[in-house]
Amino acid sequence: MDPMTFSIIRHRLFRIVDEAVITLKHVSGSAITNEGHDLMVSLYRADGSLLMGGVGFLHHLTSAAEACKSIIRRFEGRIREGDIYLLNDPYTAALHTSDIYLVAPIHHDGELVAWSACFVHVYDIGAMNPGGFSPQSPDIFTEGFSSPGIKIVDRGEMVDDVLDTMLNMVRSPEMVTLDLRSMIACNNVARERMQALIGKYGAETVDAAGSELIRQSEDLFRARLRELPDGEWQSRQYLDVDGETAVVRLTMTKTGDRLAFDFTGSSPQSRYAINCTRWASLGGLFAPLFPLLCYDITWNEGVIRPVEMIAPEGSIVNCTRPAPVSVATVAAIQSVNNAACATIGKMLAASDTYRAQATAVWHANHFAIFKFGRNQKGGEAIGILTETFAGAGGARSFADGVEIGGEIPNPISRMANVETVEANFPIRYLFRKRMIDSGGPGEWRGGTGGEMAITPHKAPDGGIHYVISGKGARHPMSDGLAGGLPGAPNRYLWIKPGESSGEASGEASGEASGEDGGDERIPGAANPVSWGVFPLMGEDALYVRWNGGGGFGDPLARDPDRVAEDVRKGLVSRTAAEDIYAVALGDTGAVDRSATERLRSGRLAARLEGEQVS
Amino acid sequence: MSDRRPYSATIDRVAVPGGEDLVCRSCGHGLGSADAVWKEVARLDERPLCEAGGSVFEATDPKLLLRRFYCPGCGAALDTETALEGEPFLVDRVRG
Ligand SMILES: [Zn+2]
Repeated sequence: MDPMTFSIIRHRLFRIVDEAVITLKHVSGSAITNEGHDLMVSLYRADGSLLMGGVGFLHHLTSAAEACKSIIRRFEGRIREGDIYLLNDPYTAALHTSDIYLVAPIHHDGELVAWSACFVHVYDIGAMNPGGFSPQSPDIFTEGFSSPGIKIVDRGEMVDDVLDTMLNMVRSPEMVTLDLRSMIACNNVARERMQALIGKYGAETVDAAGSELIRQSEDLFRARLRELPDGEWQSRQYLDVDGETAVVRLTMTKTGDRLAFDFTGSSPQSRYAINCTRWASLGGLFAPLFPLLCYDITWNEGVIRPVEMIAPEGSIVNCTRPAPVSVATVAAIQSVNNAACATIGKMLAASDTYRAQATAVWHANHFAIFKFGRNQKGGEAIGILTETFAGAGGARSFADGVEIGGEIPNPISRMANVETVEANFPIRYLFRKRMIDSGGPGEWRGGTGGEMAITPHKAPDGGIHYVISGKGARHPMSDGLAGGLPGAPNRYLWIKPGESSGEASGEASGEASGEDGGDERIPGAANPVSWGVFPLMGEDALYVRWNGGGGFGDPLARDPDRVAEDVRKGLVSRTAAEDIYAVALGDTGAVDRSATERLRSGRLAARLEGEQVS
Repeated sequence: MSDRRPYSATIDRVAVPGGEDLVCRSCGHGLGSADAVWKEVARLDERPLCEAGGSVFEATDPKLLLRRFYCPGCGAALDTETALEGEPFLVDRVRG
């Protein structure tokens, strides 16, 4: 194929995905989609293999390929032009029930030539708890509507009986309808643009370009792997729920032009919904792999071929039915993201050529908090705190992490404006800001996370409730790299004015109870909460802190002027400047150079006096 | 030095008869054979993260340890990891 035609087709495929994403956002009415960008659109070949991976949550690219393949197997011989299929069963291909895949065949002259697939986190899926994350569910049966594959559009006509059956099982069916319609519109745009492309260049040429694009990605990725050193790198991620700690263990082995991810040794599947299925783990490891190793390579089937995964059956990263998985995307899948990010970061750091691409772990711990209840307009509202998508950048070998800088698995994630949330929920923000000392210390500091507090305001029922799947508050998950420290962990506090501290008594238990330091900005008793459904009534406040990114390199090697600047900006405390970075600041906030030198040489000497193990 | 190859961002590999040794990139101090576990000869500072990390880590699990591995020659931080009590070290191997 001539290179001009190839380049034009390649570029058109990118733009088709972009335009489909825009359609999805414009039609959807959910903050989680159009503010948080919890979405994905990709194109697949006729056999369901990934042709052009789009932006959004990258752990969906490979799972949606499996969704296409599963629909092909189930509906073979009955797939018609204009059909659209729904699949959201995690044991078939999806990540959790609320991330619904709509996959659509694309035909040309009656022949199936490609697929488009997209997902959004729908407004509700009818699980025990509103919003899709269902911490109280003991099994998949209580995690809402779940289908291994069903036709919802038949040759361009809505299959109303099927749609109505599904909508009969969810809260706020009108919002779920809008979610589904946004995905139908998205697939329609993808199909029309693909058909236009094929109309112009011919099916054979477009398919040959797709083949070539996949071959090119595979060649480029294998060449990159050959440039990196062979070796094995390990990481682990702790996940605590309600006093129980699970662990995801990873050994990543790179041999020649192949990469293997082995999760042997990870915890057995949990009774809590933090588990994930095999397809979810595979997607989870690709989410950091695409941007960190294939930043200049088209994300398609060619990148998948050199990669192998071992995930023991019955473990937290390959659970068996009917284990609950509704919290997977922010639990085991995210831990797989983090563990893969850590091992890939170490492999890149072991190469002089690629060290600048290495990164400490970014925002490693989502908090799924769904507010629900009657709002100031009298309607029932459900919505996620989109601050979970705000993130924090990991530090690199030459730069600090970006403050509240997003996350690796979703290059376009972001949070909603405070005003957008206050317009739809009967709450007020007391504050929302960058969190001091949350960025992992290092020669290069991890980006800070944030902190926020909300309280009821003009609520017809005196307040609202929220579902929290706040695992991970007891272990930092954003690992540092090359001697850098981890970013600070999450924290969730229910502040009750005029009460003494103690265990939070929601419908589910809170995390380990006890006195908590509290916060002078919000007077009252501070009670840690983490898992279940809790009220936010009267003058209650909910305080949430989200994690910072990991640091890179030795904190004692950080330029003291950078530390002083961080203190000036309120990103690092004077205490941490002295205790962690060994930087002495004068009354004006400027670096006291001789005192700093004394502090640092004293710290180095103390390190050398330490005990030697073995 | 041209005969050094990276093991990590802080440690190099040097060829020796019969294999490779690891050395601190900052000072060249030997960290043993590349086939052994260098963390066992590093200076280890291991303490609960809730005491070592500052106030933002105060609520972490008291059994969660912050392990900092320092070069015995110059004191440079070579690596860190967090681990529950009794966990083995994370072991990385670099070849070729
Ligand atoms: Zn040294």
